[in-house]
Amino acid sequence: MEDAPPRLSPLERAGRWLGLSALILGGFFPFIWMVLTSIKTEGELQKFPVQYLPSALNFSNYAQVFTEQPFARFFFNSLTVSLLSTVLAIVVAAPAAYALSRLNIRGRGVLLTVVVAFSMFPVVSLLVPLFRLMRGASLLNSYPALILPYAALSLPVAILTLVAFFSSIPRDLESAAMVDGSTRFGALTRVVLPLSAPGVVTAALLVFVNSWNEFLLALSFNTRLSMRTVSVGVTLYQGEFAFPWPLIAAAVVIATVPIVVLIAVFQKRFVAGLTAGGVKA
Amino acid sequence: MALPSRSTSLPAKPHRFRREPSEGWLAVMLLAPAALLLCGVLLFPMITTLRDSLFVNKLTEPGLGTPFVGFKQYVQMFGDPRFGQALRNTLFFGVLTVVGSFLVGIPMALAAHTPSRVRGLARVALLLPWAMPPVITGLIFAWLFNGQYGVFNDLLVRTGIIQEPLRWLSTPGLAVAAMVITIVWKTSSFVALIVLGGLQGIPRELTEAADVDGATRVQSFFRIILPMLAPSLAVAFIFRSISAVQVFDIPYTFIQQAPAQGLLETLGVYIYRTSIEFLDFGYAATLSVALFAVSLAVTAVYVRFVRGGD
Repeated sequence: MEDAPPRLSPLERAGRWLGLSALILGGFFPFIWMVLTSIKTEGELQKFPVQYLPSALNFSNYAQVFTEQPFARFFFNSLTVSLLSTVLAIVVAAPAAYALSRLNIRGRGVLLTVVVAFSMFPVVSLLVPLFRLMRGASLLNSYPALILPYAALSLPVAILTLVAFFSSIPRDLESAAMVDGSTRFGALTRVVLPLSAPGVVTAALLVFVNSWNEFLLALSFNTRLSMRTVSVGVTLYQGEFAFPWPLIAAAVVIATVPIVVLIAVFQKRFVAGLTAGGVKA
Repeated sequence: MALPSRSTSLPAKPHRFRREPSEGWLAVMLLAPAALLLCGVLLFPMITTLRDSLFVNKLTEPGLGTPFVGFKQYVQMFGDPRFGQALRNTLFFGVLTVVGSFLVGIPMALAAHTPSRVRGLARVALLLPWAMPPVITGLIFAWLFNGQYGVFNDLLVRTGIIQEPLRWLSTPGLAVAAMVITIVWKTSSFVALIVLGGLQGIPRELTEAADVDGATRVQSFFRIILPMLAPSLAVAFIFRSISAVQVFDIPYTFIQQAPAQGLLETLGVYIYRTSIEFLDFGYAATLSVALFAVSLAVTAVYVRFVRGGD
């Protein structure tokens, strides 16, 4: 409303309305359909033409998700792995990003390009060597088997996001702190870090989502049922020929809720982080 | 470039603050953990893959040992019809889904950029496909495309476009189309977000000036907005291409449901199967090098045109 541009013809108004509706409907529909599927019974599902709304609210599929597979355990594993990957990535990325945005480093441009190149590293190509590395270190079926690669794979994104935010903090603030007797480290912890909190949150969110969603390495490294993560766990309800869709839908909804909540709460941070450019799909 | 910053950024007062280690050492110390993690977990394993690709290593046939065979497995790869098919599939899906994600993503960005009361909702709708786990996206769309009770069939029949439900996943051509649509849904978001960043950087005065000069919206889109979006589009294009080459999760979930496996198997899926299912680590390493080479080519284009440009 604030800055409505002048002179909108009815046609343009309609076009705008149509575009927005298509965007919102297209973005939400698959998820909403899964929610609807998850509260239907198998009988309500096996109808054509499709019955869109369930006749009654039926949450038994959600209970079954937890009894048929140790889904609470999957959830705990995903949460642990994603949180620890995020912490590791940020702790390692923050100093590097600080150096890249603040210190006079020869070949800074080259270093940044190297960071971007690392973000393009094909994960699939790393499957075999990482598998052998983890097996050699007896790390298969452990949290570090996923935390180390997740942190490393998200590190470039975290560094680039933080570089962008650090660079937006005026140098004068930091210089002033240093004139007042702070060391550079003091200036970092007392001036730069608090001011770049939004950047750190953005970078952390990106790492967390990447880690929560990762499938290939989790599928290959942690094969013991008690070490499975949510992204692999949702695929365990199907048999070779049987697809209990209400059950799968319920598992999908539970696995996606954390992501949906995060983007709803931090939508501005996500958009800021992603539109800064150079973030991997 | 590398002038000492202290003397330039501070007034020339007597240096009363403590002396610190020189910036070179500070930089090394700050960068070391990141370099260690990237090299240890990404670069070093990749180098060992180059080595592994020259040795036979089949866990299913331990009697073979792990003899050095030189480039034999590369020769095997180029004669492997399944590799050829997987490579063609990867490039085919890559081209279609990259183009598709731009055709859908740019209008999405334009819609999300327009000021409106539902801007927050539009933003979440824009983010949701990007943030959705790819494997879950695959599962969801496999259900939407279900041949018996899928909602897409229902909508197509209700609107009279088709008479009978289509068996999307068990008809080869339709399975390919379903997978393309799924990947485009998932990845358009990313293009839209990058383009949105570009749109936010275009000063409003510019389009207003064009308005005053009597340009139509369409003209100002093609003559002003699109050219100014070029850098964002380039970045989005490179990153989309890279992720398209590496696509794994969505084909993997579709293959679980579709008998038309040969048409859906991408290079990523073939590498996964060769290593984790067939336990042929030597040949999987060779295939990995091939995929890495393709990715590297795209990365080189990025370094040459996008980074080199500024």
